[in-house]
Amino acid sequence: MGKRWRRSAGLLAVMGLAVAGCSSNSTPTTTATGGDSAKAPGTGGKAVGFIFVGPKDDYGYNQAAFEGSQDVAKAFPSLKVLTAENVPEDDNATRVMEGMIANGAKIIFATSYGHLDPAKKVAAAHPDVVVIQQGNIATGTIPPNFGTYFGTVYEPVYLAGIAAGKATKTNKLGYVYAFPISQSIDNINAFELGAKSVNPAAKTYVVNTSNWCDPGKQAEAANSLLSQGVDVITQHQDCTATVIKTAEAKGAFTVGYHADASTLAPKGWLTGSQWRWGPLYTEIVQTTIDGKFTGSKFNANYRVGLKTGSNPFVQSPYGPSVSAETKADIDKARAAISAKDGSPFKGPVMSQDGKVLFADGMVPDYAAIEDLKVFVDGVVGKLPS
Amino acid sequence: MSRLAAIDRAKLARGAGRLALAYAGALVLFGAFVMTKGANPVDVYREMWRSTVMNTTSIGQVLVKASPLILAGLAVAVPAKAGLVNVGGEGQVIMGAVAAGGVALALDGTLPGGVMVVVMMLAAAAAGGLWAGLAAVLRLTVRVNEAITTLLLNYVAIDLLLYLIYQPWKDKHGSGQPATRQLAVAARLPLLGTSKVHAGFLIAVVATAVIFGLLRWTSWGFRLRVVGGNAEAARRAGLPVSALLLSAMVVGGALAGLGGMVHFAGAEFKLRPGMTLNFGYIAFLAAWLARHEPVKVAGAAVLLALIAIGGDSLQLDSGLPAAAVNVLMGLVLVAVMGRGQFRAKAPKVMAVPAAQAPAVVS
Amino acid sequence: MSLPVEVMVGAVRGGTSILYAALGETVSERAGVINLGTEGCMLVGALTGYAVTASTGNPWVGVIAGAGAGALLALVHAVLVLSRGANQLATGLVVLFLGLGLTSLFGAAYVGRSINAFTPIAIPGLSSIPGLGDIFFNHDPLTYLSYLAGPAVWWFLYRSRPGLIMRAAGERQEVLAAYGHSPLRTRYLAVIGGGALAGIGGAQLSTAYANAWFENMTQGRGFIAVALVIFAAWHPLRAVGGAYLFGAALALSPALQARGYGFNQFALDAIPYLVTIGVLVVLGRKRAHAAPEGLKKVFEMTGA
Repeated sequence: MGKRWRRSAGLLAVMGLAVAGCSSNSTPTTTATGGDSAKAPGTGGKAVGFIFVGPKDDYGYNQAAFEGSQDVAKAFPSLKVLTAENVPEDDNATRVMEGMIANGAKIIFATSYGHLDPAKKVAAAHPDVVVIQQGNIATGTIPPNFGTYFGTVYEPVYLAGIAAGKATKTNKLGYVYAFPISQSIDNINAFELGAKSVNPAAKTYVVNTSNWCDPGKQAEAANSLLSQGVDVITQHQDCTATVIKTAEAKGAFTVGYHADASTLAPKGWLTGSQWRWGPLYTEIVQTTIDGKFTGSKFNANYRVGLKTGSNPFVQSPYGPSVSAETKADIDKARAAISAKDGSPFKGPVMSQDGKVLFADGMVPDYAAIEDLKVFVDGVVGKLPS
Repeated sequence: MSRLAAIDRAKLARGAGRLALAYAGALVLFGAFVMTKGANPVDVYREMWRSTVMNTTSIGQVLVKASPLILAGLAVAVPAKAGLVNVGGEGQVIMGAVAAGGVALALDGTLPGGVMVVVMMLAAAAAGGLWAGLAAVLRLTVRVNEAITTLLLNYVAIDLLLYLIYQPWKDKHGSGQPATRQLAVAARLPLLGTSKVHAGFLIAVVATAVIFGLLRWTSWGFRLRVVGGNAEAARRAGLPVSALLLSAMVVGGALAGLGGMVHFAGAEFKLRPGMTLNFGYIAFLAAWLARHEPVKVAGAAVLLALIAIGGDSLQLDSGLPAAAVNVLMGLVLVAVMGRGQFRAKAPKVMAVPAAQAPAVVS
Repeated sequence: MSLPVEVMVGAVRGGTSILYAALGETVSERAGVINLGTEGCMLVGALTGYAVTASTGNPWVGVIAGAGAGALLALVHAVLVLSRGANQLATGLVVLFLGLGLTSLFGAAYVGRSINAFTPIAIPGLSSIPGLGDIFFNHDPLTYLSYLAGPAVWWFLYRSRPGLIMRAAGERQEVLAAYGHSPLRTRYLAVIGGGALAGIGGAQLSTAYANAWFENMTQGRGFIAVALVIFAAWHPLRAVGGAYLFGAALALSPALQARGYGFNQFALDAIPYLVTIGVLVVLGRKRAHAAPEGLKKVFEMTGA
């Protein structure tokens, strides 16, 4: 880069700075962090990459992951945190991750369920880079530089289901979801199980939108549920505001997902589930730059819940209408599912069509729960087969 | 040097100058825009240049991205030579991908990889050709305008894709997301040499050369241009106008279908919602930027792919939001299209020779 | 609520944003200019409507601003088409990408914001008519306004002098010029007006129906509007009917699901387009005749 180029650039830069205040200059961080074993995958990098499937300010799943990445930036000042939003779950993801590696990243978080295939592809092509995927399950042998991680999302959803079961007067709860992925199925089932644990008459009505964020379709779904007499609504969508505001406008209760949206529903907000990724992300990065990723718990399908540590998916604050009695019930349930033989899916759990899914007293493991492909008894609606 | 040549050269230089000015204008505007987002435009462009153009990996990615765009762009250019407007590239790309995906689901593992690739190509070309041909037939038999039908058929194709992957073709062992199972490794388009560019790029280059040759040196190409120039005169001269129009549309659709196959078997490996990412529409723009000249269409497709890949740099190097690249693309297109090349004819440019409208109807 | 009533309620609720956009596109196409970027005009209308409502607290101001934003983006289209002679179909797509990019960029700050949105107002008396009351008389004010918009556009195009001039601009601009009117100015106004209506449609989506802003929230509704104009054979009142038909198609799936039925939405989604093509085939010559002359020429114009 010649001096002349610099100078002429400077002219424009002055204008740029005048508006910008400070420009996002990309001076590379000086020191390369890393452990003693220079050859361990993920070590010796100067950056950490994060890819998100949606916008990083979606007030939901992607924003939570983005905030987690900023916690990593704070915890490791010598590492540059690269983020890319709106990365589709296809070959574009591979390309963006390759770009991050070209920019010095040795650790990459692929944070969407559908990023699994591209993440595996990048991991296979770059044995020196640790690629770790959020939410999906890797099958077969897991390479030494790959892993998946997630919280047990259904735990706080189960607890929120208790609040819903207590709050409903019509005994009809509504669930707006996008696609029948296992995470949504788990959530719907846990929500119903939680509600039923305190209110045997509670039923959960489900509507899918076949889209992670189409506010128009969400409004229609919420309205359809409300007109069936549903008086508590929850959801598994990427953008959440429409369903919450529609319910609030019609005087129904809301159980949140992804983020604390209590300000959007000052009257009807009960509680909800929200992400806190910072601690887990930080632990993964620390383990990796210490050269200890391979063989660690993260070099697998890592799932963490109340029983095994701190779940990155936590319960949201309560709204004004939740009674002390309900809160006590939820505390009790949390203690129960945190116990060694506890689980929201502790048997007996029956399917919609009356089959035994988990026998009386059985405590299924994470894999068995994620493997459920049917709704439990009490859910009204069909899974698209 | 003849005076005529001098005038031509001056005209050419003016045209090139205006084009350069248009690009520069777009870049300056985007620069101003970037400043409102708190980034330094000079840094942004420098980083984009460094990590997109000066980087072999990125160049490979540009070519991968450009491959289906080139094919879908040619799909607009060929019918345009005959005076037809094909807005249906998106649907034809999807139908090509659906056909290739269907073949893969039905035959994967039963045929050798190379044979599978050929069968998928044939199926995709046939599906795309059929989809476009449908519009041509409606035009020729019941006088329904092909721009309208190709546009409507896009939506039908999208819904067909979603329908199939949402239920009948969905991978039963998959994650629950609507998608088909992955294409077997043997049936994927091979990579060219040691690069990360798949053979789809080769297909696109060959197709460009073939179309260029067909249009320039064969009587089919000549006749197409005659029909496109003045269909009534073509008919009086005894040309089979209907057959020519149909063939132009079918060839176009087949090219777009091939584009869908290239994207499926070269990059995606499964059918997914939104997998085409508006390829058909972007390719339509590429064809218009290039005024339907095959080689230029390929160039325009590469340029648009370059901008799209440059969007990675906007995010990774400059911390701009993902959407910034759409603004850049929009500004470049506005500037290039508005650069006034057509001004001499405007607004009359919208009026075609009156003879043409009734004449193309059989 | 019975299923048919609920679907019809949903048809009006979900069809209104499409209705505005389709009316706007009808006006524009009547003057001989198609705008494939209607989706982009809706998006800028949706964001501007939401953002201005957020800052002023008044959704009416928001809607007006949304209309202005839609008009402004349509102006880009108009300049390229009418003054620079670029191809309409291509510049429409450019406008689409521009709108998509600008709104995602500037909209981020408004995701998850609360606004003083339009709320449904039951019309006393009328809203208690069984069936009809729910379907038509328990909606937000922009929906009520849309009941007037269809007939108003019809009256404008077929009964008013400016409307006649506008149609003439799309049919026989040389006649128009002979009478001393500027076809160019008329077409500019039609395109801009069309963009404004699409902007209102977008604003209805963000400030009334979904009560939220999210990037690309129109999800293809603008493209549906363009298809609808053809379906309606460039007639504003048929466009209104078509918008409700699309709205009903969108409403059927959730209504069935909420009653416990499984459903593959996409087979249904394709029907309106197939019907449109079918109508064009059956009425081929007649319908094609309904297309404004100026528009036919656009469709039949080849590359430069």
